[in-house]
Formats: sequence, C-alpha cells, structure tokens
Amino acid sequence: MRGAGGDTVVAAREVTRDYRRGRTRVRALRGATVTVRRRDFLAVTGPSGSGKSTLLHLLGGVDLPTTGRVVFLGRDLATLSVEARASLRLHEVGLVFQRFHLLPMLTAIENVELPLAAARVPRRERRERAAAMLERVGLEDRLRHRPGELSGGECQRVAIARSLANDPAVVLADEPTGELDRATSRRVLALFQELNAAGTTLVVATHDLELADGARRRIEVVDGRTRP
Amino acid sequence: MTVLARNSIRELRYRPLRTLLTVAGVAVATAMLADMLMLGGGIQRSFGDLLESRGYELRLSPKGTLPFDTEATIPGFAGLWDSVAGVPGVERVAPVLALSVGAEVEERGPAASRDAVRTLSLGLDPDNRGLYDLVEGDVPGAGELLMDSRLAEALAVGPGDRLRLAVAGGLGAWGRTASVRVSGTGDFVFATVRDKPLAMPLEDLQALSGLGDQVSFVMIRVRDGHDPESVRAGIAAVADRVEVVTLAGISDRLDERLSYFRQVAVILGTVSLFVAALLIGTITAVSVSERLGIIAALRAIGVSRRRIVGDLAAESIVLGAVGGGIGIGLAVVVAGHLESILAGLPGLPAAVRFFVLEPESLAAAYGLVVASGAVAGLIPALGATRREVTTLLHREEP
Repeated sequence: MRGAGGDTVVAAREVTRDYRRGRTRVRALRGATVTVRRRDFLAVTGPSGSGKSTLLHLLGGVDLPTTGRVVFLGRDLATLSVEARASLRLHEVGLVFQRFHLLPMLTAIENVELPLAAARVPRRERRERAAAMLERVGLEDRLRHRPGELSGGECQRVAIARSLANDPAVVLADEPTGELDRATSRRVLALFQELNAAGTTLVVATHDLELADGARRRIEVVDGRTRP
Repeated sequence: MTVLARNSIRELRYRPLRTLLTVAGVAVATAMLADMLMLGGGIQRSFGDLLESRGYELRLSPKGTLPFDTEATIPGFAGLWDSVAGVPGVERVAPVLALSVGAEVEERGPAASRDAVRTLSLGLDPDNRGLYDLVEGDVPGAGELLMDSRLAEALAVGPGDRLRLAVAGGLGAWGRTASVRVSGTGDFVFATVRDKPLAMPLEDLQALSGLGDQVSFVMIRVRDGHDPESVRAGIAAVADRVEVVTLAGISDRLDERLSYFRQVAVILGTVSLFVAALLIGTITAVSVSERLGIIAALRAIGVSRRRIVGDLAAESIVLGAVGGGIGIGLAVVVAGHLESILAGLPGLPAAVRFFVLEPESLAAAYGLVVASGAVAGLIPALGATRREVTTLLHREEP
C-alpha cells in the first residue's frame, strides 16, 4: 500500500454533507462512516437520493464533508488545497461515471491517455500504458475507435481503462452499469472482479443488486446514513 | 498539441456548418477592422510620403491657407524673395502661381470658345521638379508649356503643337489669351483626378494673367544639416504676412481635416473587433455548455482547471486565427475596391492612397482579432471550470 495509513486506503468518519438548493439547505449525508482497505471490492447500495454518489465524491476528494473527516492514504482531505486534492485524484483515484464522460472527438486510446497526459507522462510511455490498459479491459482491437463507434459496454470499459491509467490506489465507480443492459452489466461485473482479483481496490455505488452481490463487501446508505 | 486541445479542434471539424459560419463572421469582421486601420492612418502617411518625396521642406502661402487651398495669392512676392532667400538654411526658393485657364488646340478654334478645356495652370521655375515629373519632350522655356500627359492624350497633342490659353475674365468670361508651344508632357504629382494641369514659366503666366509679381505659394528647399523647423521660424520672422509651414505642419493640418475619417474608422474598427470577439465568445459559450458534463468529469478526474481552460481556449484561438487569416486576405481585396471608389474624391492629389497596405496594420488587425477571440473564449471556459464539480455531476448523472 502506498503512503501512510497502513492497510486503509480511505476512511470516512461520521461525515455529513449539506447542499443549498435555492434557499433550502439539503442534507445529503447525515453521518456516514466507511473504511476502504487495500484490495477491497465494496458495493455501496441504497435507494435513489440516499447519498451514495455524495459519499463516493467525498471518498474520492471530489468534494469535502460539511462535518466529519475523510482520510485518504493517511491525509485528511480537508487540510489539502484544491490543487493538492486535484493532484491526489489524478494520481490515486480512478473515477468511473454512469454516463462514461468520454471525450467524443478522441479515440479510445486518446481518452485513456488523458489522465496520463495530465500527469505529464511522456508521450511514448503514455501511449504504451494506454494501449496496455485497453488490452486489460479487452478492447485491444478498438484503440482507434471513437466513443460514437463503440457500444455502451465498450464505452464503459474505455472509461474503466481510463480510471486505471495512473495506477490509482482506489477506483470509485458511480452506477457503472446504470446505462447498460443486463448482459453488458455482467461483463462489467466480471471485469471488476478480475481487476479486484489482480489487486485493484474498488468502491462501486450501485442500484444493481447483481453487481452488489458480486462485490466482496457491501454497505447500504439509507437517508444519508451508512448501514453495514 | 495536448490531448484536450486535439479534442477541441476536432469538435470544430465535427460541426462544419457552425464552424464555417463563425469563421466567415470573424473573417468579415477582421476585414472591416483591417480596412479601418489602413484607412485611419493610411491617407496621412501616403500624403506625408508624397510631400517628402519631392525634396522641398517648407511652404509659404497666403495667411490662413495651404498650397492649392484657395485662389488667394501673395502679392508683391518680389519684395519678399531676397528676405526669404537670405534666411540661413534656405537653399532654394521656388514660387508657384496656380490659376484656372482655358486651353484649346490652336487650329481647332479660339481658346475663348465654349469648347475650351478648363484646367489648372502652374506658373513656376521650370527647373522646379517638386511638382511634376517629365514624361516626354523638354521642360518649358519662354512661350512654352508642359502639359499633363493625360490632358495631352485627351486633346491628342504632343511636343511641338500649339495651344491657345485664356485666363478667366470677369463674370465667367475669358480674358487675355496667348499662343504657346507644347514643349513636353509630364505627370503632376499633386494633381487631383479631375485636374489635368499645365506648367509654364512663372513670368509667362504672371504676364498672361496680369497679376504682376503675385504668387500662390512658394516652395522652399532647406540646406542639408539644417532643421526645417528652425528655418521655418527664421522665415516667419522676416515674412510675417505669409503662412510658413513645414511638411509636418501640412500633414498635421491634413490630419485635422481628416479627423472625421479617422473617428469613423476608429468606431467602425472597434465595432468590428467587438463583433469578432462576440462571435467567438458565443460559439465558445455554446460549445462549453454542451460539454459541461465532460468538463466536470475531467475536473473530478483531477485534470487541472488551468489545463481545461487553456485547451478550451484553443478552440477560440483556432477560430480567431483561421477567420482572421481569411479576413486579412478579404481586407486587401475590399481595400482595392474602396480605393478605386475614393480615388475620385475632389481636392486630394490622385497619388494619395486612402488604404496603405502596411504589414503593421494587417498584423495589428490579425493580432487584435486572435487576442480578443481568445479572451472572449476564456470567459465562458473560466466560468464553466469555476462551477461546483459535484453540482455539475449531479446534474449530468441521472
């Protein structure tokens, strides 16, 4: 495991998160606690609006809690500057979104190169690493295809390859099968299991019970609180 | 080129109609701006260059006038000549009398007839080449004249032919007449499109007109090493009843008279620049709003805000650079057409150019459009990257 913090990759303790919607204050999380350890494959389940995505954003340092602490590889995220958190996300967090968020004008390999380029990896090396990542997710024959030329499942696998590009400490996936059919969802689950077996730490927020059952561990978020 | 910039530029190719329309709009605005920049300073520079090319640094004219401004004359110049010539730094004094005359080829009838060509006649020292370039034949001696080559062509005459000249009398009638031989033809550098002047010895024109030793203006050549302004002050001290101006002074007066042109050019140029910037800004804003989800995802991934903004700005820079480049070419073509229209404007020498194609003006227009487009594109890009990532992700992700 990289950095301080022993076997724990990221831990959230009694975190709350309030948002403003117009004049109303909305409490998305009301005291969630979770610890993610190395090689974990944790499924975060719960109904819509329960706070799963918010919890994922807090764990990945995309957002900060209103109260409580999130410690990532031994560092309290609240003590880091915006730039330092961005750098931490770039190097230590892989993010997978429900809608993939691939750049439509770039090929699969260029999309995977993106975080590597942002991390200033030399051109030749990033091309090799991006190709290796796409091969790892079974898309070695789709390197030059653009997202519009790929199926939903293939796009999600490109997004997973992108999330793995900088060899992160944890991959956080928010409803990764939300836009996919059953068969494709199963292939994504199989890929996650394969990656986890190879050492990748995964946290997946999902409605998909089959995906949740395929994880090693599961917690539920209900009304902004975590339940084992 | 960075991966993100590559995406931005491919976005432009992916939407060819939108890109083409924006580039066309930027090109038209750039052409307008470049033409206005050329027009704003072109005429003054062109006129200044024309004045300086003739080698006479000072002009004397009746109080409150400039050469060729009015028909006013300096009476009794013979009395002033010695005083002016004696000022330190004065190398040469070249008086000129400019009068409206009627001219007609002798064998075709009397000059006083209604068919006579009305034109400007310059009485001068024939060796004063400050006003004309010899094209054919010789400089005029006593009883001779040099014709504008266009007039010679129009009247189908050349060296050796004879013209009858008449000066204007009272109530629009022709007065005295004289028969003169054409010694040659020439190009008159300060002639307007309508003027097709004649030149003859000063004494001949003074005699024909009966104006004695009156002159319209005087050209003064300053000796090398002398400051024209000091010489001007020296002449003004001995000739206080005339206007003494340097070439810079003439340029300044012209500049005052053309200030309307310049103001219009500045206003239209500024409007054009705003139009180009607004076009690019609008397209970038639309483009950014279409990509808010991706921008949020990139920021969530950890791509720095500065990098995202810079790469989004690449799109604006490409639009400005391509549109601006086409616009510069368009500006040159439009300037040519406008020049041909404005060349007929009365009162200005035909050799003066309204649109001077200077690399500096074109580069300034191009640079301004690219820079303002980049700034206009930065505003929506900065705005998008300042928004809360989680808010955008919540909005984009169902």
